[in-house]
Amino acid sequence: MMQDVKINSYQFLILVIFFTIGTSLLTVPSVLAADAKQDAWIAAIIGTGIGLLFIWLFITIALWFPHLTIIQINEKVFGKWIGKAFSVFFVLTTLLYTSELLFYCGTFLNIHALPSTPMVVLNILMAGVVVMGVRLGLETIARSAEILIAVFFVLFLILVLFISPEIKFENIQPVFEVGTKKIVQSSLFYFVVSSVNAVILLMIFPSFINKVKQGKKSFLFGNIIGGIIIIIITFLTVSVLGPENTARQSYPSYELAKRINVGDFVQRIEGLMAALWIIALYFKTVLYFYASVLGIAQILNLKDYRPLTFPLGMFAVVLSLVIYPNVIYQQYWDGTTGNSLSLSYGLFLPLLLVVVYAIRKKTIKKKA
Amino acid sequence: MLKCIGILLIAATILWIEVPPLLEKKYKKELLVFAILLAIAVGLSSITLGFGKSIPTPLDLLTFVFKPLNDVIAHLLK
Repeated sequence: MMQDVKINSYQFLILVIFFTIGTSLLTVPSVLAADAKQDAWIAAIIGTGIGLLFIWLFITIALWFPHLTIIQINEKVFGKWIGKAFSVFFVLTTLLYTSELLFYCGTFLNIHALPSTPMVVLNILMAGVVVMGVRLGLETIARSAEILIAVFFVLFLILVLFISPEIKFENIQPVFEVGTKKIVQSSLFYFVVSSVNAVILLMIFPSFINKVKQGKKSFLFGNIIGGIIIIIITFLTVSVLGPENTARQSYPSYELAKRINVGDFVQRIEGLMAALWIIALYFKTVLYFYASVLGIAQILNLKDYRPLTFPLGMFAVVLSLVIYPNVIYQQYWDGTTGNSLSLSYGLFLPLLLVVVYAIRKKTIKKKA
Repeated sequence: MLKCIGILLIAATILWIEVPPLLEKKYKKELLVFAILLAIAVGLSSITLGFGKSIPTPLDLLTFVFKPLNDVIAHLLK
């Protein structure tokens, strides 16, 4: 196993930011606006706050075993066979999410950029880059993230600055009309996507970070920074497009970029927005795929995970073509079973782990 | 048919890249896992892409399994 791979806490911070933004950047505003209406941005703030609790839970678990990944922790806490069964569930879920993100990317490009290209081709292109990244290893992924975060923030600043003249404050009034209960409920989808799924970062967090103490801080700060970006985007979509229009769009922040018009000269720069999203989505996909490949290698005690990347990449492409028959099905599934699946591997499994660890603490310590 | 040949060509390329280093290092277990996964991937992709048959989505099974939890969450959100 490639145990000598280490990334520093700054690189980990960037990976967490990309993971938190990932899919949320384009899809979350419409889901939030559907329930919370003009208070969607408050829902995003509350969602970020709730998400931090999950991150705190993951950090607590990780710091009990500073040299193991979540797969090895499972095996140690639950015993060999039950632990492996939970790990198989974990790995299958991450593989499913890899192909889900490939589907997102394929559909988005198919609708907005390359309408006459078959979706297979787009998915194969994305999967090819993902497989390449995972084969080159975590250090290469982290360094390329370090370069691309600069591009990301410059593009993001351009977007925010150019759209700010269009903000209409009538769109977010009256504030707090839907009530606290509704706002908290509508933030469920957002913190499930951004923070509960961050359980897969436990494949990297304690074992591949060179300074665990600082890594802990970057896990929290990465989540907060990612959350702030989502809050800004949600605020902008609601205040520029209006709550009803935001809820109706499937990609509201892309629609936002189309509205940019500075002095009838800077117009139609939504291609930049697409670049933002593809960068963030790429790193999220890579992290999911890395977790599933490394997970399988660790379940079966293999010495190297690299041989598995090509077959699993092929598998992910096929799966990405079959999983969703259409976009309606995708929206419905993500809002119902998707939440349950994420909660069961990102909340119930860690909670069970905490309980079992509390009971078996002495026997586990004795073995180690 | 042409698509099937394409998929087999891709599989052959993957074999050509991966197998020699594995044989050299005598990683037998890795080779076995690799072969099984590749066989599954080639089988599935030739069914869906090559012959154009549709296979049922695994998400329906998940929806069936998670139905009780879905209902609980939907009840909480009401």
